[in-house]
Amino acid sequence: MNLWQAFKMAFKSIAMKKTRSFLTMLGIIIGVASVVIMVSVMQGQAKKSMEMFEKMGENKINLYIWAWDGGESVQRVMDYCLSLNTYISGITPNAEINDSVTIQYGAKTIKTNDWDNYDWSTGQDPWMTMLHVKLGSEQYGVCNNYKLASGREMSYLEVEKTLPVCMLGAGAKEQLFGFTDPVGETITLNGDPFQVVGWYQPMDLDWQPQMDNIIVIPHTFNRTMNNNYDMNEYVIKARDAQSTVKAMTLLTAYLNGMFPKDADGNRMNGSYDLGSDNSAAENQQKASMMQSLVMGAIAGISLLVGGIGIMNIMLVTVTERTREIGIRKAIGAERSSIITQFLIESAVICSIGGLIGIGIGYVGTMIAGKLMADVFEGIILMPEPFIAVGAFLFSVVLGIIFGMYPAIKASGLQPVVALRAD
Amino acid sequence: MLIDIRNLYKIYNEGRESEVRALDGVSLQIDKGEFVAIVGQSGSGKSTMMNVLGCLDIPTYGEYRLDGNDINSLNDKQLARIRNREIGFIFQGYNLIQELDALENVTLPLIYRGVSVFDREDMAMAALAKVGMDDRAHHRPSEMSGGQQQRVAIARAIATSPPIIMADEPTGALDSKTGKHVLEILRDLYRGGTTVLLITHDDGIAATAKRVVRLSDGRIVSDRQQEVDWE
Repeated sequence: MNLWQAFKMAFKSIAMKKTRSFLTMLGIIIGVASVVIMVSVMQGQAKKSMEMFEKMGENKINLYIWAWDGGESVQRVMDYCLSLNTYISGITPNAEINDSVTIQYGAKTIKTNDWDNYDWSTGQDPWMTMLHVKLGSEQYGVCNNYKLASGREMSYLEVEKTLPVCMLGAGAKEQLFGFTDPVGETITLNGDPFQVVGWYQPMDLDWQPQMDNIIVIPHTFNRTMNNNYDMNEYVIKARDAQSTVKAMTLLTAYLNGMFPKDADGNRMNGSYDLGSDNSAAENQQKASMMQSLVMGAIAGISLLVGGIGIMNIMLVTVTERTREIGIRKAIGAERSSIITQFLIESAVICSIGGLIGIGIGYVGTMIAGKLMADVFEGIILMPEPFIAVGAFLFSVVLGIIFGMYPAIKASGLQPVVALRAD
Repeated sequence: MLIDIRNLYKIYNEGRESEVRALDGVSLQIDKGEFVAIVGQSGSGKSTMMNVLGCLDIPTYGEYRLDGNDINSLNDKQLARIRNREIGFIFQGYNLIQELDALENVTLPLIYRGVSVFDREDMAMAALAKVGMDDRAHHRPSEMSGGQQQRVAIARAIATSPPIIMADEPTGALDSKTGKHVLEILRDLYRGGTTVLLITHDDGIAATAKRVVRLSDGRIVSDRQQEVDWE
């Protein structure tokens, strides 16, 4: 018996028993669709949270130094960081002028840290919405993962020579300039003119909106505008995840040498704190991995339930066809022809069911994405082909195994025994 | 010698209290071109006899040679080949596959034989024409009467032109008129040189065979030739 004939026979038998075929498919459809939807939603969720962390600054190292000798130790640490340029692509102070600064552009006047005149009745945290004047280097944008919207970053010389230039965050730009292009315009800070050289795209971080409300000026203005307070906070940008780990290790060793511990375990000469957002991202990754495991378990169970459904219907189907197998054997069917026929039948039914399942899974995923649009804003949920194919193969293999097993059993019977079955 | 069985036993639940000897040491030889009726009461072992002779069942003990082949030494594949090419079965309950129409049912043994797709349909139609069912080729079994179904079953049995036809109570479920018609077809086959084995409990039907083998309690109690008038 050739294969084509076997296929024709299989299709015929499927078409003849529509209800039975549909029920068989239903198990597979439900199994595949639910796995596809669940895994996709889960992956979308993980992707979304990772995206948030990436925006905030992956491979970003936060360094705090409190040195008793003032600037000298800090300068040595900065120089050391520059020598680590294989791992580090930028470093910037991340200080803020904590005194109130009056910012003016044209007729517009905004004061920072103006706590007395703040309207507390709105219930909003003023820290989130008010402007912040930051002291940074020409690498402030790179280190904090800002992307340039237009204009340029400050230059090394501008920072070194204490030239009055500034960068604007998207929020600050909007508050001062609205929709007009700020590049080349001049604003005043406490009456001193600063030229805007560029501005950053919005970060849109839900929990850190203040990151958009910044005005960055060269950190060399610390002396004149910030009472020469110590700048304790620095942001270092590593080249990639591995560099982050490497740079952290080297810096820790260097800083431990600079601030050694005495016999009582207290640091001498000052103190430091070193941390990276990667560890936060790693935690998030762990959390979403745990979520993946839970969802995976649920998906696995639904696939298992679907599989048991497939198994049952296949067992019943073939058992009720034992007589047919007997007839076929009596008129000369070889065992292999019968097994081939049932194999193809199961494979065809399961494949059709699996394909429908994938289709419903895709549609279901999109519906889920729409229903949970608030959570997945900006992300279009789409199942990964890998998941769809995996669920599909699993169901098909399951269907074939349980479709085949009774056929193998029945085809091994003496024809007379199979014929007696009813 | 076409069929040659010696000391054949078929024992169920051997060694237990419920032991049943369906065939209890049967020896029988049938030549090519004979028309043999195997008769007996129900429970006499005649159906078991046909199942064993038709390679649908294996004997517990004993020798069985079919056209020189030792059946006991054949494997599953070779037995399937014999059932396909050497023997055509006609069952009391027709045993047609309900999902297939008459033509497809008759085509099945040809498919298993490996007949090419171009010849298959012609051969099946020829077989249907022989039993007068060619006008019902595309009816399903459920759309046919018992007699018509049995004729399709006969067409299926003769489609591969096997040298032996085995019929187990072929008229059992039919009224006497259609039964007569079915017997007529068997006689035609016999005239064409086919060896026919007819299993029946009905002495009236047995009376139309040239040779009658009578079974009782799994043993052959008589085996005689008779003159019959087939006009």
